[in-house]
Amino acid sequence: MTPLLAGIIGIVLFFAFLALRVPIAFAMALVGFAGFSYLTSTSAGCSMLAQEIFSNFSAYSLSVIAMFVWMGFLAFYSGIGTRLYIFAHKLIGHFPGGLAIATQAACAVFGAICGSNTATAATMGTIALPEMKKFNYDTSLATASIAAGGVLGVLIPPSVVFIVYGMATTESIGKLFMAGIAPGILLMLAYMVVIFILTSRNPALGPAGPKASWRERIKALRGGLAEVLIIFIISMGGLFKGYFTPTEAGAVGAAGVLAVSLLGRRLNWDNFKKSLYETTRTTAMIMLLVAGAMIFGRFMAISRVPFELAAWAGALSFPPFIVMGIILLIYLLLGCFIDALALVLLTIPIFYPVVVNTLGYDPIWFGVIVVLVVAMGVITPPVGMNVYIIKGVAPDVPLENIFKGIWPFLAALVVCLAILIAFPRIATFLPEILL
Amino acid sequence: MITKFNVLTEKICKQLDKAAGLCIAAVMFLVVANILLREIFSRPILGTYELVGLLTALGIGLALAHCAWQQGHIAVGFVMDRLPLKLQAGFDLLTNLLTLGFWSLTAWQLCRYAASMAANGVVSATARIPVYPVLYLLALGFLVLVLVQVVRVTEAARILFPGVFSAGLRPLSELTGSARKAIR
Repeated sequence: MTPLLAGIIGIVLFFAFLALRVPIAFAMALVGFAGFSYLTSTSAGCSMLAQEIFSNFSAYSLSVIAMFVWMGFLAFYSGIGTRLYIFAHKLIGHFPGGLAIATQAACAVFGAICGSNTATAATMGTIALPEMKKFNYDTSLATASIAAGGVLGVLIPPSVVFIVYGMATTESIGKLFMAGIAPGILLMLAYMVVIFILTSRNPALGPAGPKASWRERIKALRGGLAEVLIIFIISMGGLFKGYFTPTEAGAVGAAGVLAVSLLGRRLNWDNFKKSLYETTRTTAMIMLLVAGAMIFGRFMAISRVPFELAAWAGALSFPPFIVMGIILLIYLLLGCFIDALALVLLTIPIFYPVVVNTLGYDPIWFGVIVVLVVAMGVITPPVGMNVYIIKGVAPDVPLENIFKGIWPFLAALVVCLAILIAFPRIATFLPEILL
Repeated sequence: MITKFNVLTEKICKQLDKAAGLCIAAVMFLVVANILLREIFSRPILGTYELVGLLTALGIGLALAHCAWQQGHIAVGFVMDRLPLKLQAGFDLLTNLLTLGFWSLTAWQLCRYAASMAANGVVSATARIPVYPVLYLLALGFLVLVLVQVVRVTEAARILFPGVFSAGLRPLSELTGSARKAIR
């Protein structure tokens, strides 16, 4: 059997394991190890297995994941998300659809201290949904707007998906973080426009709430926004300016949230422990995915699948944007079935050489595009992770109802994607100017 | 006996997870302390880079099993969820046996790697910390992950062979693994 054929069989086997409900990390490691051993030798495969696991688990550059994950959970358990939402609510809650629009703003700001789309959706789901229910919001609009808003958590830095992309491609995490800011704001605005259009056409979807006085607004401002701004400026500012490594930025961010929460007496011992246990669980899940992807990547590399694919794409007579379109379509389809992080880890070793080396696209821009496309997968059926999280928060709302409300937000994501493809500098101008 | 094994496995998972939490918290405090000492007193902590790596490895390795116990490792269930219960349990039994074998091999290989590091006296570059204890602890993490896989196998077997695996067991509603998902 040729290495290429072994590689293709390995990919098919991997998807078969996925269909059999084998955890994605387990399937990648198992198939990667088996394929690598088959193409080299069992003893080489065994050595590679132990070395890859240890080198990935103990990599200083990857300890950043644990730090940013903990930062997000500390923010969640200390109630920063709640205070952000209250501020946005007081500011614009009196407009039709105002609460849903406020949710998008709160998601974006919460995304500045949380790197996960699911954590952002879960946080805002528990806070915003009861409020929207109180004001008789359409359940479909309310739930879908939060599920979609969660996507802002991975676009606006810090972002676990950007970290993993940077790690897999050796691109600068600082540049990737910076490149996500403008597209994140663009997406937030697009979501707001969608909600505005929907509620303008049918005000019953999102009735206006009571108007808050300026005094109430200023009081609410001190609650959450100021804290987030200070932590973001110190942590991300230090990273962008080169004072901190990404790990140091994450540790400073987590320490900042911890300090602010303790000083404000907003974090008790129980919630502190919960934040830590959630962090170990999430980090273990992510890092086993990373190690699994690395083992799978070693197998792919010796099977020559990525190189053959790159050579094939290079020999095509289509213009680069058509090839790029096909790749994005593959991402979109796979994203419907595979988790965003796993999808990035799985596909980057295969598509990155094609897009960057063969087609000549900017690697930072491609990172933003990939994050945006895989983010669509978290709100589309059948495996829309964010939708299931919101369903967990609102068990009385049928799943079909949430998915029905997702379509306008998905359209907003597609429009943002098109804008970013047409104007790549939206993503790349900040890293170019500031780094 | 199987019930006792399940309870013991869960206890071990939780204890290792607590140790993992301490490691992650230690990383944060160590990094921040290093920045403060470096910036204020120009005296960084020697070997922070290596210590962070080793502590993170422990934080991950020791939490793997508890993550698996809580079904935290992401899996795609929409194909299997549509199959009859017994068929799901059959596939679960096979795949869990396979992954059980694979993680056993991983634990064994990590032990061998640790033994070779110990024999060669491999230490970290700056702080001269021996690396092999971390590798043995990682192997322990994978060994407990194997125990979780054993629990998953017994759960699937209970659905497949209810007559054989029934006496003295917890009710099915208290199951923790893929079997619980299947029952839902």
